Amino acid sequence: MAERADDRLVRLLGIVAYLDGAGPVPVEELAQRFGVTPARIREDIDALWVSGTPGYMPDDLIDFDAFSLENGMVTLTQSRGLTRPLRLGTREAVALVAALRAMRSTPAVQAAPGRADVVDSALAKLTAATGEAASAVDVRLGGDEDAAALGALTRALSAGRRVRLRYVDAADVVSVRDVDPWRLLTQDRATYLVAWCHRAGGRRTFRVDRMLSVQVLDVAVGRVPPERVDVDPVVQVVSDAGESAPVAVLRLASPARWVAEEVPVEQVTDLADGSFEVRLRVTNPAWLRRLVLTNAPDVLGVWPPQVAAEVVEAASAALSAYGEA
Amino acid sequence: MSAGSESGPATRPDERLLNLVIALVNTSAAMTKQQVRANVHGYGAAASTDAFERMFERDKDTLRALGVPIVTVEGSGHSDEVGYRIDNEAYALGPVDLTPAELGVVALAAQLWSDKLLRTDMSRAMTKLAAAGAGDAAEDVVAGLTPRVRAAGDAYGPLLEAISERRVVTFRYRAASTGQVRARRVEPWRIAARGGGWYVVGHDLDRDAVRVFRLSRIDGRVRVGPHPDAYRIPADVDVDAALGARVGAERTARLAVAPERATALRARAVSAPEPDAGPPVPAGRDLVVVPFKTLTPLADEIAGHGAAVVVLEPADLRSEVLRRLRAAAALPRTTEEEEPDGRTR
Repeated sequence: MAERADDRLVRLLGIVAYLDGAGPVPVEELAQRFGVTPARIREDIDALWVSGTPGYMPDDLIDFDAFSLENGMVTLTQSRGLTRPLRLGTREAVALVAALRAMRSTPAVQAAPGRADVVDSALAKLTAATGEAASAVDVRLGGDEDAAALGALTRALSAGRRVRLRYVDAADVVSVRDVDPWRLLTQDRATYLVAWCHRAGGRRTFRVDRMLSVQVLDVAVGRVPPERVDVDPVVQVVSDAGESAPVAVLRLASPARWVAEEVPVEQVTDLADGSFEVRLRVTNPAWLRRLVLTNAPDVLGVWPPQVAAEVVEAASAALSAYGEA
Repeated sequence: MSAGSESGPATRPDERLLNLVIALVNTSAAMTKQQVRANVHGYGAAASTDAFERMFERDKDTLRALGVPIVTVEGSGHSDEVGYRIDNEAYALGPVDLTPAELGVVALAAQLWSDKLLRTDMSRAMTKLAAAGAGDAAEDVVAGLTPRVRAAGDAYGPLLEAISERRVVTFRYRAASTGQVRARRVEPWRIAARGGGWYVVGHDLDRDAVRVFRLSRIDGRVRVGPHPDAYRIPADVDVDAALGARVGAERTARLAVAPERATALRARAVSAPEPDAGPPVPAGRDLVVVPFKTLTPLADEIAGHGAAVVVLEPADLRSEVLRRLRAAAALPRTTEEEEPDGRTR
């Protein structure tokens, strides 16, 4: 895919400004610094080499030492005034500062004072350099997770220790599991631990607010995470079994629109009266029953009929516990 | 003859922009449009004056969006024509001396966004920090953490532009209560993400009141008005107040829980201040007292437990749970044959 012109321009300007301060730099190192391939850096140098001030005579152009480049070393000999790094644009400053503030709000950062200090000092330096325009976007992450549990998990993660969890799952079943922690993921309103579970013999995702206790064991982790841990627990609820999972359809009134927005549905169909239907694949029937039960005032229809019948039964039993027949 | 008027293959846009930046950084006073067209490499290829004007205007917008401070200089002396130059004082990024640990935090924060636009903005910011000589990142302070926020969607770009320039926006919005789609005119103040949703907080011009709009309920495009500085953004926008979060007012719920059930609720329990006060606990159930701040999530959680949990107090929580249970008990019976989008159509 072709690179956007403005992305490349930022890098071209950046390369000159960086080299002006840094002196000769190997092509490989420059590539790593700017997150591109060495071949791309050589193309960039070719483009810079023919750019300059109007007139475009040899003395007007940005220049590099050709001999040194043959040996893999980039040596800037003429910068044509591009000696200083370009400031951040408004949108860039917003994206950067809002991301750091969001990170500052995560329970995993707040649970570790040392971490919060580092985020604060990075934020202070960047807002000083970018100005206050960056407050246009305000992102908060995470919920009311227990600080003690998060503290134990972060300690285990940095020390590479196994932990013993007492955990209650969505079906209200308590289990004790020894797990090797891999990642602590804060997504939207909750924090999740992605780990290798020795009891299940596989990778599992645990909600931190469902951990009843967390004990850091005096055992090093046995299973290390793969290079790239792909984490998306919200989707996992539904997609673990993929195509083979049974399909359910819910017809919902408009106030339940968040379901279409927050639950990973396969398909949303808007109906003429403002209601809508969602199609989803569900591996965990208890999760679907709970979804229907909690949103019942806005549920207009549920398929397969079996699910509707189970929800009616559960709700009727609950009403009799309240003394309503 | 200058390179600017050479014919031949069109210069790549990025290389034309680069030459414009170099020209405007190095010009002694300012360059007029005509001087740019005649002298800057890449502009001579424009087929007509109109084509040149469009190209130059677009390039100026692109550079300004990237943070390049292009200033206009009123014509002087023999020329009335406006000139352009780059403000060299404003051009440079101030010194950002990040420690390796701080850089590690910034590098991790860079992974937060899911939107293409936000990721692009972020990666440009990172390129500029790299150009400013940022050193190696140390990631041990944030080892194992992954913060993530879901995509804001297409409305983000125009809304941010509008907030930055204080322009009015118009869009069509689907009301959650009725499902109806209506046109809205809004002075946007803040874009916010809370609990998995993206919102814009602003002044709704037709209702003359502060309103919150969920971005995913915006139907179609957000249109940005023509006039900059059309309003003022209050100094103290309280996003959480606007979103209706009742922060601080903690209450307690008294629940009658079946033995060994609702373990997650039990884990959050506090000891009852007056165990014998309030409605009696039915035989065979345990009293569990749980503190809470917002009603709806707790009502959802409790209703999800069905007969295992009965709310004793407070009354508003009890009636919210009962409202869900009554509706669930009265769910319409469905049949296989009626299944939408399925075998019958």
